[in-house]
Amino acid sequence: MGIKLEEVTKIYESGEIKTYACKNMNLEIKDGEFIVVLGPSGSGKSTMLNIISGLDTPTSGKISIDKDIISDMNTKELTKFRRNNLGFIFQQYNLLQTLNVAENVEVGREVGIDPFEIDEVLEQVGLLDQKHKYPYQLSGGEQQRVSIARAVVKKPKIMFCDEPTGALDEETAKEVLSVLKKLNEVYKTTLIIITHNPSIGMMADRIIKLNSAEIVEVKENKNRLSAYEINWN
Amino acid sequence: MLYKNVFRTLKKQYIQLLLLGVIITSSSFIYSTMDYGVSGILNPTEEYFEISNQEDFAVNLADYFTEQEELYLSETCLITEQVFTLSMLKQIDKSCYYNILDNRLSLITSQIDDIVLEVREYKDIFYELNGNTTKARILKDMSVINKSFMVSGNKPINSLEIAISEAYAKNNNLKINDEIIINNETYTISGFVLFPDYSLAMFGDAFIFDNKSQTVALVTDDDFENFDEQIQFEVGGTYTNYTEESFKTEVIDKYYNIESINTFVTNMIQTKNNMRSGAIYGEIEGGQVTGLGLSVLIIAIGILIVAIMVSKILEKQRGAIGILKSLGYKNSEIALPYVFYISILALPTLIFGYFIGYWFSDTMKNLYLLFYLLPSQNIDQNLMTFFISVIVPFAFLFFFSYLVIRKILNQKPVDLLNPTVSSNKNKLTMVVSKLLGKKRVTKKLKHLLLYRSLMKFTVYLIGLFYAAFLIYFSFSMVNIFDRMLLDYYDNTNYNYVGFCEEVCPSTIGNQDKVITIPSALLNNSEVSVVGIDTVNFLHPLLDMKNDDITTKLDDGIIITKSLALIKNIKVNDSFSLKIGQFTFDVTVKGITKEYSGSKIYINRELLSTELFGTDGYYNSVYSDIELSDEDYALILSNDKILEQSEEMQKIFGLMIGLLMYVSILIGGIIIYILTALTIEDNFYNISLFKVIGYNENEINKMILGGYSLYGNIIFLITVPITFGMLKLMEVMMARYYELILPLQISWYHIILALVINNVVFFIAAFSAKRKLKKVSLQEAMKMYQV
Ligand SMILES: Nc1ncnc2c1ncn2[C@@H]1O[C@H](COP(=O)(O)OP(=O)(O)OP(=O)(O)O)[C@@H](O)[C@H]1O
Ligand SMILES: [Mg+2]
Repeated sequence: MGIKLEEVTKIYESGEIKTYACKNMNLEIKDGEFIVVLGPSGSGKSTMLNIISGLDTPTSGKISIDKDIISDMNTKELTKFRRNNLGFIFQQYNLLQTLNVAENVEVGREVGIDPFEIDEVLEQVGLLDQKHKYPYQLSGGEQQRVSIARAVVKKPKIMFCDEPTGALDEETAKEVLSVLKKLNEVYKTTLIIITHNPSIGMMADRIIKLNSAEIVEVKENKNRLSAYEINWN
Repeated sequence: MLYKNVFRTLKKQYIQLLLLGVIITSSSFIYSTMDYGVSGILNPTEEYFEISNQEDFAVNLADYFTEQEELYLSETCLITEQVFTLSMLKQIDKSCYYNILDNRLSLITSQIDDIVLEVREYKDIFYELNGNTTKARILKDMSVINKSFMVSGNKPINSLEIAISEAYAKNNNLKINDEIIINNETYTISGFVLFPDYSLAMFGDAFIFDNKSQTVALVTDDDFENFDEQIQFEVGGTYTNYTEESFKTEVIDKYYNIESINTFVTNMIQTKNNMRSGAIYGEIEGGQVTGLGLSVLIIAIGILIVAIMVSKILEKQRGAIGILKSLGYKNSEIALPYVFYISILALPTLIFGYFIGYWFSDTMKNLYLLFYLLPSQNIDQNLMTFFISVIVPFAFLFFFSYLVIRKILNQKPVDLLNPTVSSNKNKLTMVVSKLLGKKRVTKKLKHLLLYRSLMKFTVYLIGLFYAAFLIYFSFSMVNIFDRMLLDYYDNTNYNYVGFCEEVCPSTIGNQDKVITIPSALLNNSEVSVVGIDTVNFLHPLLDMKNDDITTKLDDGIIITKSLALIKNIKVNDSFSLKIGQFTFDVTVKGITKEYSGSKIYINRELLSTELFGTDGYYNSVYSDIELSDEDYALILSNDKILEQSEEMQKIFGLMIGLLMYVSILIGGIIIYILTALTIEDNFYNISLFKVIGYNENEINKMILGGYSLYGNIIFLITVPITFGMLKLMEVMMARYYELILPLQISWYHIILALVINNVVFFIAAFSAKRKLKKVSLQEAMKMYQV
């Protein structure tokens, strides 16, 4: 699915002070594209992602995904749209502690229209042999892979990842990133990853740089590298 | 800075805090209002009972004669007329009457050491006041025991002076020196009087507390003797060398084995067990215990809620607390702001409750005075009551919330900072998960989310159980007064009872012949006997299921529910029934649904045959049409009785309504707070499911569904438990206090309770969710999972 942002602005007001989190953003993302969003802390990355995905609403501007205009939808329509099309991964793994690995993935599968089999997805993230374990029995990287499996299992058309490797060390971060990249290649899922780490940009089709709530640079990356080829710093 | 943080956090919980305030207020309110209300009566009453030398026990004497007495009548008193009772004898030969009574008393004192006895005589006199029939029970003054006590004014010293009860005077706008006309004589009110053996404003059998049309009264001895009405008597007694316990075991339990007195002593009853004189003791104790018990219970709920709220707030802030600790803040410094705000919330609330309690205690006191003929005084505050109703619950609240805070703060800073809570290894959820087997995960979650924290779940269940019990309990009191009194009149069809002079007129139309015997002995307990025909027009006997059981009179006796409860009597139990000199064996064949009176019904024809050798005897008549004054000594009208009871019914209704209202309110608040707290507990899960794409409906099913399922199950489980508890209460109250509490719940109360539960649940859930909606999803996702 393709995404289009037109003059998207988000202003936070607290008392007299107005903070721009997004300022007149214009952007087009193609179906199946792999995007990495970079920028310093407070530059508006999370805000942009939340607005695109309908978790938050813009102050002004228009967001459309294919023919659907996200910025005009009410809560109910947004929920339905999210359910059918979008997947999310956050820095926190957000797993349900009372469910085991397979069951956590099942939570994501229940809302899918034509979902994958749980085992198939667990195979992809390399956790098939651990499917009966509970979250507390897994490492951080493994937990993050469960949350990826949970997001992927319902066959989302777009995946939004806000700092998916933020809490992981280099080795595990690379595992997680390669799983994400594989998804993008195998299932043609549109993939948007937010990160602090510029080297991750080397894996993407395009790199978008934000600064002070504005898009300051959009860069094509002709030579996509795999997660294990990039130079971590 | 810390204070500001805590303040802001608490401010967000304002609804819960407000409700918590209501609970805390009612705790100190209930205690102070009960305590002050009771003490306003208790203190002057103790003094009054002391001064007037209240009887320690009462002796009931038979009104008929023993064989020796009959001999004495014919040989010494030379009485030739037919005299059946002592009361009749007094009219004919006073000295003979007193000789027999004195002889009886000395027989008793010769057999039982260290007691003093004195006869209390009285006459019931009916007269018109402001167009209404009123009854004065005129008591003859006693000299040693049960001395009359003037609340104000003077004792009657001249003829045609009368002292009445203050409650009756107030109700009829009478003042000292006003005049009332009794039997065509004009009496002047000389003062307001009390009698320690008549401290309960209750007359007759019908449970009507009525100070408006009934009064106790005192006149000069000469005037007393001049009233034509039949004399009645009781005997009051005091002891010095017994304790209550020893008197019971050594005297009360044994007197009927003493042959020389058991022919005329029909009952011996200690003041504390005697309604007319001693009900106030049980009531005061009961009142104070109830007050204390209720307020302890309520404050316990308050503490529970405070503990839950504080622990939740702290859990949410564990990260921040970890940082403070790593910066070097001491536990006490972090805890203090919480404890500070709890204090400034709780203390004024408790004091507020205490003061409305004090203010309301006067009303409470006056409520007591509707039931009791006792002196009262203005209520002064005292430190002890303040201490118990304010300081004690405050200390508990303070202590327990401090404990909770300490428990959380005692963790290491690292543990507090670590967002992935390490204690997620929860065996219980795994077991439950296994039990649920291969169900869909969303169905499983409905249960698993609840079992996450056994502690919280248990609190939820216990809280709901308590709420359910409170609500059922208040419903069980609906119509309690009807059951106690009105049911009887609804189920019988007679409107008039005529008590015949000597010979009864023959019955006409739908009138029933009845034998009424006010006092008889069923194994050693006093009962009244009503002989009715198995086939009668106006007095069907209905059992608890409303089935007509009148025909069972052919096989044995039928007793009232209240008698069955008090004496633990079951169908097919056999007894000896003693009426006058006659004793015969009877078997209980049925129990009516009457909740008042220790009454037994017996087949009239059989009774008549036993007593008189013919089946035609009757001494009273039930009638649906008005009876003529000329034919009967006394005519009672049910309409009149019901009319008189209306006032009482209103007050009863008010009190029970208040109790119900408070119980349901507290029950509702518990449901509300627990629901709101548990929903907020699921704040993170709700957001997560939303992000994944679950819609409102599915989330409700998953999260609310579980709580409402278990909540409703608890409400249903509580039904049989409540039934059991009510039955137990009914039996205990009857057996130990001779108090009949017809508590009942019916199926529509159960449905109503479920409706209340679900309505409150959804209101709470709705408002909790509205609060959650204000937090955006992406922010929720950033939060720690607790
Ligand atoms: N709820 C809010 N209320 C007010 N201001 C906010 C809110 N959320 C974000 N902001 C502000 O909007 C701006 C952008 O925030 P955003 O979270 O998008 O930054 P970010 O690029 O994701 O930063 P980071 O890399 O640290 O996650 C910041 O200046 C932030 O202070
Ligand atoms: Mg961010």
